[in-house]
Amino acid sequence: MTRISARYLGKRLVVSYLTLLVIMSLLFVLIRSMPGSFIGSMITPELGQEDIRRLRETWGLNEPIWRQYIDFMINYQTGQFGRSPTYKEPVWDIIIRRLPRTLVLFGGAFIVQFIVGPLVGMYLGWWRGTRKDKSIFTSSLAVYSMPAFWISWLFIWLFNYELEWLPSTYMFTKFAGFEWTTVNIITDVLRHIALPLFSIAFVSWVGAMLVMRPAMNNVTSEDYVFLAQAKGLSERTVMIKHAARNALIPVATQAIVGLAFLLDGSVIIENVFSWPGLGQVIVTSVLSRDYPVSQAAFFMLAVLIIVMRLLTDIAYTYLDPRIKFGGES
Amino acid sequence: MSTETESSSQFDSFKERWRPRIERFRRGWDRFTEEKMGVLGIIIMVVFILWALFPDFFAPHSMEWRAYLGTEPGRLTAEQADSLPHPPAFGDPFWAPLGTNYLGQGILTLIVHAADDALYIGFAAGLLSSLVGVPLGLISGFYGNTWIDETIQRVVDVMYGLPFLPFLIVLVAIRGITTTNIILGIAVTSWLNNCIVIRGETLSLKERSYVESAKVAGASDTRIVFRHIMPNVLPLAFVFLAQDAAAAIIAQASLAYLGLADFTANSWGLMLQNIKSNGYVFDAWWWLIPPGVCIMLLAAAFYFIGFSMEDVTNPQEDN
Repeated sequence: MTRISARYLGKRLVVSYLTLLVIMSLLFVLIRSMPGSFIGSMITPELGQEDIRRLRETWGLNEPIWRQYIDFMINYQTGQFGRSPTYKEPVWDIIIRRLPRTLVLFGGAFIVQFIVGPLVGMYLGWWRGTRKDKSIFTSSLAVYSMPAFWISWLFIWLFNYELEWLPSTYMFTKFAGFEWTTVNIITDVLRHIALPLFSIAFVSWVGAMLVMRPAMNNVTSEDYVFLAQAKGLSERTVMIKHAARNALIPVATQAIVGLAFLLDGSVIIENVFSWPGLGQVIVTSVLSRDYPVSQAAFFMLAVLIIVMRLLTDIAYTYLDPRIKFGGES
Repeated sequence: MSTETESSSQFDSFKERWRPRIERFRRGWDRFTEEKMGVLGIIIMVVFILWALFPDFFAPHSMEWRAYLGTEPGRLTAEQADSLPHPPAFGDPFWAPLGTNYLGQGILTLIVHAADDALYIGFAAGLLSSLVGVPLGLISGFYGNTWIDETIQRVVDVMYGLPFLPFLIVLVAIRGITTTNIILGIAVTSWLNNCIVIRGETLSLKERSYVESAKVAGASDTRIVFRHIMPNVLPLAFVFLAQDAAAAIIAQASLAYLGLADFTANSWGLMLQNIKSNGYVFDAWWWLIPPGVCIMLLAAAFYFIGFSMEDVTNPQEDN
């Protein structure tokens, strides 16, 4: 069992930190080079030149740009994101209020897609080249090609407009007539989450399947699979217990990295379903040039992605010898 | 007389020289056409390319056509204006097999005329990200574990830390919303996967003996990378080109949904955005479904072709 040397770990940490610094600088430049600033949304017809200058002064936009840069680098690394000029509240409050909602929706979809995707991928990879594999693979690729917002519209149309089974917007019923007991609230949220969750999972399970299928196919030609078959185990047992377990490793990597990209997909879906999560905030804050909020959102995503990648690398270094030797036992 | 034989012998030698390549291509093509999925992809692609080349032949009207144009009163009556967006009509008030939108433009006409835009986005974004990703991946893999590799990998790390769609929104906001800028934005954010995969492939290829022998024969690094290694990673690069193209088409539609589309051009994504902004999403199925189906079919065609090529080039298929 190889252990990770402290030197390797230290080097990785330093490199990750430097990467974060570079991303932050890039962010600062990119976000500031968008035309206009959030001051534009605060200007009313009553304000004169002097008032606008004072506004810029208050929000720190009159400082020299290097000064702003240094403040940004120091404050964001210490977790001080400041106040949002357009939401009129501290950035942390927005994030803390909205992050759980996004996590509930996309965490749920994440679990569904990484159960369905690898399962289908397992079957397709095991019977690769058969007629069944080809037709299912082709149709799942067609599903994967649908724009997320379009398929969501179709689902809303079917389940909300035509069948009237499920609500299509928000997280709770507005002006609800029912008692606010725990059970009622949970059923209400579940009813609201069903449609967006289904819409996300409907398209995105294919991503997991696309990783599982070739991995499974590679495993089928391994010696230990032949051995298991020669022992007279049933095909089902061989497929699930011997082949699929080893094919799951690339899927697990994909899943860890995919966790960090959850918010990426939320941008569109939250907009379609008016889900009050972080994805909506990112878009509106970028479009309204709300520097503190958009910088904070990008910054937290960057930290998340870097940490996830670091963990994956470390996990891989640990897993590597086990994969090599453990597979044949 | 003499020139003719000369040119024909020249042609012969040309044929002689190219025969192995043509032969190889034909063999690859035969294996490709065994895959029904790839053939389906090519058929869809050819239809869309024909649409893009001869839109006037396939579209029932020109882009200037409007419903009720040229009918009696000269301008829309209240009933006529009320009937827009009009469901599919086959000659009764006018000819519009897929109905019209709220302006009276024929949906089929718009869709056919938008095919060139979608193909342009797909091919340009796919090519651009391959043109950046493949050479960088080759260089990074060939000089694996040197400072060159390290530098390129750090750039990849940085780009990986920026989420795709929000980053694209920022890029498009900075550069202005035109189709070209959207393509550039997609290319900037999507070359990473090409680079990583090609690097991994190059790392394993450069240990092969033919690379060793080329090195011993005194070939320069450039020659080894581009003459000996690149032809072997090209099939993989094409697979990723197709995937990038499909992703680009979907990304463009998503950006259009958020209102970041070129409003002077005509594209499938913009048609969907127009349904949303005019509030007809659930009232005009003939307007909602066709653009989405087109996006899906074109993206799927790229995926079909890409993944069939992966199956063709994957030697494990020969078991």
